[in-house]
Amino acid sequence: MDMKRDYYEDIQLFQSGVVLAWTVALLLVLFTIPLYTPNYYVYLLNIIMVHVILAVGLNILVGSTGQISLGHAGFFAIGAYGTVLLMTLLQIPFVFAILIAAFIAAFFGFILGLPALRLEGPYLAIVSMGFGLTIMHIIGGVDAFGGRMGIKAPPLDLGIKQLGISWILKTDFQKYYLILIMTIIMVVGARNILKTRVGRSFVAIKDSDIAAEVIGVNLTIYKTLAFAVSAFYAGIAGGLFGFVLGFFDPFTFNMILSIIFLVMVVVGGLGTILGGILGATLITYLQYDLLKNIAEIPYFGALMVAVSKQWFTMVGLENISSMAIGLIMIGIIIFEPLGMFGVWIRMKKYWMTWPF
Amino acid sequence: MIFRKKVLILLIAVLAVLLIANAAPAATLAGFDDNEIRIGQWGPQTGPAAPWGSVARGSKLLFDVVNEEGGIYGRKIKYFIRDDMYNPAQTAAVVKELVERQGVFAFVGGVSAAGGLAVKDYLAQNKVIWVGPATSVKEYVFPVQPYLFSVYPLYEDEASVLTKYIVETLKLKKIGILYQNDSYGKNGFDGLKQRLDTYKMSLAAEIPVEPTEKDLASQILRLKSSGAEAVLMYVNPTTAVIALKTAANVGYKPQWVSSNTLSDYPLMHKISGGLWEGVITGNFGEIPDSKNPLMVKYKEAAKRLSPEERWGTFYSAGILFADPIVEALKKAGRNLSTEAVLKALNAIKDYQTIGPKISFTEKQHQGSDSVVIQKCGPNGSYIELQGWTANDLATWKK
Amino acid sequence: MPVGQLLVEGLAIGACYGLFATAVVIIYKTSEVVNFAQGEMAMFSSFVAFHILSVYRYPFWLAFLITMVFSILLGILIEYLFLRPAKHPTILGMIVITLGAEMFLVGLAGWKWGAEQKYFSLPLDPSVTYEPVKGMIINNWAIAVFAVTTCIMLFLYLFFKYSKLGVAMRATQQNKHAAKIMGIRTERVFSFAWGFSSLIGAIAGMFFASRATLDPAFMMEPFLRAFAAAVLGGLMSIPGVIIGGGLMGLIENFFGYYFPHWKPIVAFIVIILVLCLRPSGLFAKHFVKKV
Repeated sequence: MDMKRDYYEDIQLFQSGVVLAWTVALLLVLFTIPLYTPNYYVYLLNIIMVHVILAVGLNILVGSTGQISLGHAGFFAIGAYGTVLLMTLLQIPFVFAILIAAFIAAFFGFILGLPALRLEGPYLAIVSMGFGLTIMHIIGGVDAFGGRMGIKAPPLDLGIKQLGISWILKTDFQKYYLILIMTIIMVVGARNILKTRVGRSFVAIKDSDIAAEVIGVNLTIYKTLAFAVSAFYAGIAGGLFGFVLGFFDPFTFNMILSIIFLVMVVVGGLGTILGGILGATLITYLQYDLLKNIAEIPYFGALMVAVSKQWFTMVGLENISSMAIGLIMIGIIIFEPLGMFGVWIRMKKYWMTWPF
Repeated sequence: MIFRKKVLILLIAVLAVLLIANAAPAATLAGFDDNEIRIGQWGPQTGPAAPWGSVARGSKLLFDVVNEEGGIYGRKIKYFIRDDMYNPAQTAAVVKELVERQGVFAFVGGVSAAGGLAVKDYLAQNKVIWVGPATSVKEYVFPVQPYLFSVYPLYEDEASVLTKYIVETLKLKKIGILYQNDSYGKNGFDGLKQRLDTYKMSLAAEIPVEPTEKDLASQILRLKSSGAEAVLMYVNPTTAVIALKTAANVGYKPQWVSSNTLSDYPLMHKISGGLWEGVITGNFGEIPDSKNPLMVKYKEAAKRLSPEERWGTFYSAGILFADPIVEALKKAGRNLSTEAVLKALNAIKDYQTIGPKISFTEKQHQGSDSVVIQKCGPNGSYIELQGWTANDLATWKK
Repeated sequence: MPVGQLLVEGLAIGACYGLFATAVVIIYKTSEVVNFAQGEMAMFSSFVAFHILSVYRYPFWLAFLITMVFSILLGILIEYLFLRPAKHPTILGMIVITLGAEMFLVGLAGWKWGAEQKYFSLPLDPSVTYEPVKGMIINNWAIAVFAVTTCIMLFLYLFFKYSKLGVAMRATQQNKHAAKIMGIRTERVFSFAWGFSSLIGAIAGMFFASRATLDPAFMMEPFLRAFAAAVLGGLMSIPGVIIGGGLMGLIENFFGYYFPHWKPIVAFIVIILVLCLRPSGLFAKHFVKKV
């Protein structure tokens, strides 16, 4: 089904008319969502899309290149802090600020990529984790960055103040469209990267870095490049996240967030664009919305309250949500090693071969 | 194909511009009707900060009591607790959900400083009243924000009062501080520093700790070799317990002084294995076994309505933070409106239930300025050392 | 600068990290999975001990024994229920499974015992301290940590060297398929590794709990540090891991004494530097990878 007859077919954005039609339909839905979705979900969608950008970028590193990072919250923080500080301190317009911040993040990604040339697996995990913690600590230690108190994002002005153009996005709806467009650009970009020489080098490194080197892939360049690209994505995501939230402190970008990002990629499906999107959407949704306020859920809530009173404690009732997320994560990996992407492939195959 | 792609991109761009321009601002729901007034609170019920979650559940007790007594002019209070896991992104999510889906009239309490700052402006834009944040953050009420009323005494003021007590009453000259590396600890540090400056004294040692650190040996040894006779702690309960245990292990016995966040003596005495005895803390709520009639009433109600809860300081603080809104709702009368309640809140003067005296004016939304100083006696009992004391150096009063 | 005292305290907490890191390494050695649920398994076992002590009021030794049995069962159960059914798992997939187990255990403990800090103490009088050399006060807790760590190290050494099961574990680690062909029931080896690792983790968890307080989140930080110590030591060699833990405790305490602000991350920075020079940690033999 996923057979390609020639190179040009492989690099096509839409592999067939059907895919194109569905993509257009999906985009239409995405662009009109605020017209029929309750307000508060738009905020959640914004967060989901920010996570999608990050997960797609992280997937280039983890899934396609086979490196591991437990420090992406650090790049995320650099993006968020960088954008806001460039805008408030240097009066740089948003569009440029977020790009500069993302390039700063990419530079740090390049730096982190250097030790990654020699390290792998848990060793790289610890190094990247140390990197994330250090970034958080340094930001918290500098008063100009808001210190531990945190920092407030300025109004999100898409215009250029210096030229007298001002276009301030205030509501979650307006931010939704900005983030949606950014997400589409970044996702299409990621897909295109993977179809180029660079992307194929990444995959070669994942399969075997020694073999890749033998066939002429420059490991130094491509491994650090993978880190830089992935950090760039995290930087863009962070820049947007700062404005979704409006206020953040260093603790917002803690270790647990880095772990959650990795979970998104693995649960979504390693090495595929769609996997990153699905994983980020699922995990974010679960974290923000699954089994919250259990006591208010009809029937099930009453049951859980009774169970709590009998065997557990009422004060810990909300913990059921965390237990459920844990079990869902385990379940997906046990039953589908490819993650959500595997589920998707299975569904597709089922419909394409139906009724056989 | 290329052509189609271009058309698509153009289409998206046009659509996007149209939609961004047209996106309508959110219409907020009314926070009350003839039968109920909806009030919400966020607080960590799960995750590392979950012990503070009892504040939100404490407020529930007050509303349950009010509802039992017939509500406010026939309207019952419907109370929502939302778990934000101490994560500002989640705080914003739950607050938006409550404001836009449930339609809440007011928020009470709310533990995390970062979470509060993340939603402060949103609440003001939507004209939702917020009373009694369960943490003291100067940015909340300075400058005055018309919809936000703070009950919690500033950490800075408390640290200043405690330092005055250490220097003038205990006559200790060498003071060290162990503070959590966040806004809570920094505010305590500022208060101490401000007071010491007026005495022309310098700090013996200033040691920051991360809230999650589990090994404090080097920090305690640093305090020990600085020769500090009194150590002010602005840390969380677990850190305080580790500090005391480590100090006992290395034979260091200063006078420990701490903020009101550690004033739950029965709990602290228990989890420190008795080491808490002799620690001096600030406090701004009635002690758990107080004879104050209101406190007795709430304690009885707690036994009846939520027997599972431990009657501790955080829990009863939840009542204290929510008290002013109930008072204001009663004062506002039958014709409920946000303006009426704001007016009633701004008129609150020397209102005291189970905490400090609270006064608000149009220009002043920091409700209280005083703390009492207490000492932990045997078995976690309370010994009062000094009654309600305001900070004479308070920066915000000038 | 109280060098002696910092040495004692650094080594004591370091031994505790090392002990806990041993638990991480035992699982890593058999299956190359870093078990992120390690901390929470220890937390849960400590809570069980707390429950037995405070609700049933059994004497400590009995509670300890029951907890040990429980922790072994917990380890075996998690391996059996969560990891074994996974078909063709990748290493990252397995790590995510352990993360899922972690969230499940945190949730379960929070639901059962609530979030408020609990008091947990080993039957060691904290007020009794010894001062063998002036300026080196040593307390019962540290002595117990040293004693227990030494015993477990000795046991592990003998176990891996001489017992049949220990040899089987080593064989499984080197080549799972060859081991299987030689008649070793590798599934059973995995079960055993998880049970054993959970047991050691539970002991370390109780040490941490008695030094601080007991709550559902209390093992997250020690786990990260133990993991880092294990990586510093090389992840494959158990003595290396103990030395890694000790180094970690010493670096943190000596450096943290002068720069308390940087104490939480100094160990990580040192580890990054060490790994740049020795990519497989201090004590692991760098194995040659086949292409």
